[in-house]
Amino acid sequence: MTVSDVLFLAICLITLVAAWRVVVSAKVMHAALWLGLTFFGVAAVFLMLSADFVAAAQVLVYVGAITVLLIFGIMLSEGTEGTPRGSERSSLGRKVAPVGAAAGFAALMVYLYHQAGLRQPPPAEVATDTPRAIGTLLFSDFVIPFEVASLVLLVGMVGAIVLAMREEG
Amino acid sequence: MAQALNDLFAAWGLSGGFVNVIWALVKALLVLGFILLNALLLIWAERKVAGHIQQRPGPNRLGPFGLFQTFADALKLLFKEDVIPAAADRVLFVLAPIVTFASGVLVYVVIPWTPDIVVRDLNIGLIYVAAASSFMVISFLMAGWSSNNKWSLLGAMRSAAQLVSYEVPLALAVVSTAILAGSLSLYDIVQAQAEWGVWFIVLQPVGWLVFLIATLVELNRGPFDMPESESELVAGFNTEYSGMRWAIFFLTEYASLTAAGALNAILFWGGWLGPSFLPPAAWMLIKVYGFVFFAMWIRWTFPRIRVDHLMGMGWKVLIPAGVVQLLATSAIVLIWG
Repeated sequence: MTVSDVLFLAICLITLVAAWRVVVSAKVMHAALWLGLTFFGVAAVFLMLSADFVAAAQVLVYVGAITVLLIFGIMLSEGTEGTPRGSERSSLGRKVAPVGAAAGFAALMVYLYHQAGLRQPPPAEVATDTPRAIGTLLFSDFVIPFEVASLVLLVGMVGAIVLAMREEG
Repeated sequence: MAQALNDLFAAWGLSGGFVNVIWALVKALLVLGFILLNALLLIWAERKVAGHIQQRPGPNRLGPFGLFQTFADALKLLFKEDVIPAAADRVLFVLAPIVTFASGVLVYVVIPWTPDIVVRDLNIGLIYVAAASSFMVISFLMAGWSSNNKWSLLGAMRSAAQLVSYEVPLALAVVSTAILAGSLSLYDIVQAQAEWGVWFIVLQPVGWLVFLIATLVELNRGPFDMPESESELVAGFNTEYSGMRWAIFFLTEYASLTAAGALNAILFWGGWLGPSFLPPAAWMLIKVYGFVFFAMWIRWTFPRIRVDHLMGMGWKVLIPAGVVQLLATSAIVLIWG
């Protein structure tokens, strides 16, 4: 095993443990912080794939903005202490649903890995000027998905403003 | 000197990967040493500047001009009892200052002090700085929430609101300089100013103003220090902290202040560029500490502004100004660049 193998396994372990703690933490605040660590672990995986720009963007957006807003929301809402809502009831659906979702996701991953042509040898040459390469791709090959994504964000923002707006008079 | 060390390692029979690790450790120690000494001197400077502005002498007993006062204070803080409130969330309470400090130190990795003195120049430099400093907000939230104290919680929430709000105009202003330089690397941005023969402050005065205000807000310094406004929130998010943990928050504040000075110099004031009668490092330090002095001057002359005014200024003035700045820069670079 090389050094990078050990690093990769360590990062995966941290990410998976953090993701598991997101689900089982009794306090919502702890769950949110574990989620932040999960995002950070994913960024570390990107970094190991030489995707430095994506890694930095991942930290900036997911750790710096989304986790913070999540925690901000938790602080503004009451009853964040104690057991999560609904944990006292245990119906069959509650037990089957997470297992089913996890199994479905695992099946999808296995399918994608083996069938959808994702299993390719790594490129011999890794781009060094990643920001320029990503920028060029976003504004040429992927310009329509890029613009549609920005439209989705805009609609989300307008929706939030409409919901939060006070009625006049 | 670097070459001599490399030869020495080679003579000892050390391999490439191991030498890299040793270099990383040496550089980390140098950065840590700089941050510690810098903070001790800046706290003294801050108290002297505050003293002069308020027409009193400031620290003047210990050593020449009271220079050793902060060394004595640091010793006192080291020997203080380590108090963790009984109702606090112990793990988060202990982790918060560590995350804060790590966030402050990480920024130093990409800062070029001269063309040769830089820990590691990254081609995503600016994004890296933004990503590294985004841990600061989380650590403040951790500190405020884990203290289990309403003042701390209020301070933490204010800091989250203002840091998240002002990250947007800051990013807009900073990205404009990257567009002018055609690179996100801090080294390339200074080189671009050398090639253009003009510092970006001349080309982007509006962008610089947005950057300046947003940076002062991000630093949580007066007149924008709502997260710890002592007259209403005791000490904000660090109310329950004392001794060394409290000192680490302050250490980080001065580390971030100096890093902000360096970014200001690099992005808008030509970094290490300047007339050749002084070496590049001297120009860089003059610009960095010029900014630090300016920030202190602002802090001690303006009253703290109200939270809602701060939010209004951010969203209704700075963000539109930043967007116009970004559009104008992009258009000009597209047409004439």
